[in-house]
Amino acid sequence: MGGEEASRIEAYARLLVERCVDVQPGWQVLVFSSPLGRPLFEEVCRCIGRRGAYALPRLLLPGLESLWALEAPQELLSTVAPIQRYAYEQTDCLIHVEAPENTRDGSNVSPERMALVRKARRPLFEAFASDSKPWVGCQYPTPALAQDAGMTLADFTEFLFGAVLVDWDEAEREMGRIAERFDRADRVRIVGDGTDLTFSLRGRQGKISAADANMPSGEVFYSPVEDSAEGVVTFSEYPACYDGHEVTSVRLVFRGGRVVESSAGSDEAFLHAALAIDEGAAVLGEFGIGCNRGIQRHTKNTLFDEKIYGTVHLAVGNGFPFIGGTNVSALHWDMVKDLRADGRIECDGELVQENGEWRF
Amino acid sequence: MAVLSGDPRIAEYARLIVDRSLDVQPGWQVLIRSNPPARPLLEELVRLIARRGAYPVLMIGSTMWPVDPVWAASAPDELVGELPGIDRYAVDHMDARITLDAPENTRNESELPVEKQALARSARWPFYQRTVSMEIPWVGCHFPCPALAQEAGMATSEFEDFLYGAVLRDWDEETRRMTRYAERFTRAETVRVVGPGTDVTMSAAGREAIVDEGRLNLPGGEFFFCPVEDSAEGEVSFSEFPTEQGGTVVEGIRLVFRDGRVVEASARRGEQALVEALDTDEGSRSLGELGIGCNEGITRHLNNTLFDEKMAGTVHFAIGAGYPFAGGLNVSALHWDIVKDLRSGGRVECDGEVVQENGVWLI
Repeated sequence: MGGEEASRIEAYARLLVERCVDVQPGWQVLVFSSPLGRPLFEEVCRCIGRRGAYALPRLLLPGLESLWALEAPQELLSTVAPIQRYAYEQTDCLIHVEAPENTRDGSNVSPERMALVRKARRPLFEAFASDSKPWVGCQYPTPALAQDAGMTLADFTEFLFGAVLVDWDEAEREMGRIAERFDRADRVRIVGDGTDLTFSLRGRQGKISAADANMPSGEVFYSPVEDSAEGVVTFSEYPACYDGHEVTSVRLVFRGGRVVESSAGSDEAFLHAALAIDEGAAVLGEFGIGCNRGIQRHTKNTLFDEKIYGTVHLAVGNGFPFIGGTNVSALHWDMVKDLRADGRIECDGELVQENGEWRF
Repeated sequence: MAVLSGDPRIAEYARLIVDRSLDVQPGWQVLIRSNPPARPLLEELVRLIARRGAYPVLMIGSTMWPVDPVWAASAPDELVGELPGIDRYAVDHMDARITLDAPENTRNESELPVEKQALARSARWPFYQRTVSMEIPWVGCHFPCPALAQEAGMATSEFEDFLYGAVLRDWDEETRRMTRYAERFTRAETVRVVGPGTDVTMSAAGREAIVDEGRLNLPGGEFFFCPVEDSAEGEVSFSEFPTEQGGTVVEGIRLVFRDGRVVEASARRGEQALVEALDTDEGSRSLGELGIGCNEGITRHLNNTLFDEKMAGTVHFAIGAGYPFAGGLNVSALHWDIVKDLRSGGRVECDGEVVQENGVWLI
């Protein structure tokens, strides 16, 4: 590893430990990664040590978790091992450095068995999902991630650091300005290719993601009023990716906040099945605005795609209670709409963004 | 389902660990400490543990859990010296443990300064205590990875053959043979080890010799006892093989025992590491164990204690902790096995009777 690479990894680790989760002395910090993520994983552990806190490093070997889910008796899947449960209950903070060897690992476990495992583990993540304990999920460049992004590893590495090592103070100021405008808005309208959708943000506060639970960060997001979405949106620019599926040209028609009509260019059956998994799955749960200037292209990687500058994303399914969302669902599927070529956003009739550029 | 590497010996190895060494029971939490290169065997272990209705608790790192040296190097001393609550809970609640050594680099521990190594040893102590006291079933073993092969001076495939030759043996037959020798030591009042630069006597009175029958360690193939703590007298010269302590190679060790304690210590190389280890704590100058290697699949020294201490025709002296389950009373954070070859010009006596000469059993 060259000096430049080492210093970027050090900056990345400090960003995670000092800014995203702000580790305090005496904390117990669980740190997860796979062997491919080790340069960053180890640097994170060093930073935690320097802050006078415990790092509890856990390397996950690709495929081993799903192997257990494949082989264990079904009744065991619904109970988490007490040692694992205790670790999640007692930890002060969680840092997960995703570094997959194969992004499709785990796809060979049946949905029924996977559902049992997910259900058993859900309570472990509650404190993190509700923002009462700090955590951060991030990625380290691996060939598998580069492959999904359609890039060489070298190009993907540049892309990733470009999205992560940005001036977060400046980005936070800019996002604060954007959130302030949308916080005041009642009706938001999004117009673009095959798209004319309105919804209400009345009484809802936006959440700014600037170096917090996601790295890269760089979005302002809302849970819109649940019964307010009306109109149509067509995700014609990028596939909508979920659970290893890529669904092209998703078109959704909303009435009274719910999807009443849906179609897709590919894998339409999966789209229909996802929207039907429970009562809340067809409801608009999130409206997000991508604000990361370091991310200009779609890489079939939601963590990055939803932050592309000049895009918005709409999630069907679960809303965020910590920003007033009330919709509940096992689904939360972010779909990204590019507005840079021909699109606009209006707040209460005022044009605020045109072709991906802010107008206020 | 096929094993990834296609080597059927891996599945056999996993069965030996899960079925024979641990006999995993439903609902158990089986803590597995290992390193990434062991993945093919880890996959088999996870599969077999799952089929027995138990939980594998995987602790995988570049070095052995707990206490990560990368973290410890930058962390304050007071944290390094004590396990965090989460790890302590895992130590207290594991129902069995597997330590499967498969380093990418056998020198991974060496970056830690000596004082921090001592702190890390005390932090790890509760973990070892639960196993040396035999509260739970455990096994220590190795996967034939490139770094261990390199350390052994062999090609990887050659090392695989060596390791599986030492591990996949007829353990019932081996156990019968070793039990015969061990019974003689259990009966003995005094044991004497003689060899080049070496003449030590110790009392075995009231102490039982325990046979390692391929359960606690794989490869197995030794028996050992904890000498009466204040009894060792004489000197021993470890002239044949190098050993190591905390990543430092130590060669040509000579120890003089009086009343069971090391009163003189020197080494041709690494003497500082030797002296620092002996000064770890109150118990680290006492003789904790005498072991006798019996595994005929191991015919050469690898600089890897788990193998070397089982080599047929050698004995090993452990400085530091004794085993309470074998009547040993000495307590220390140190347990350092140092191997002495007796195959050319050595002998072992029980109450004056020569029981082994030049590595060959006479009983």
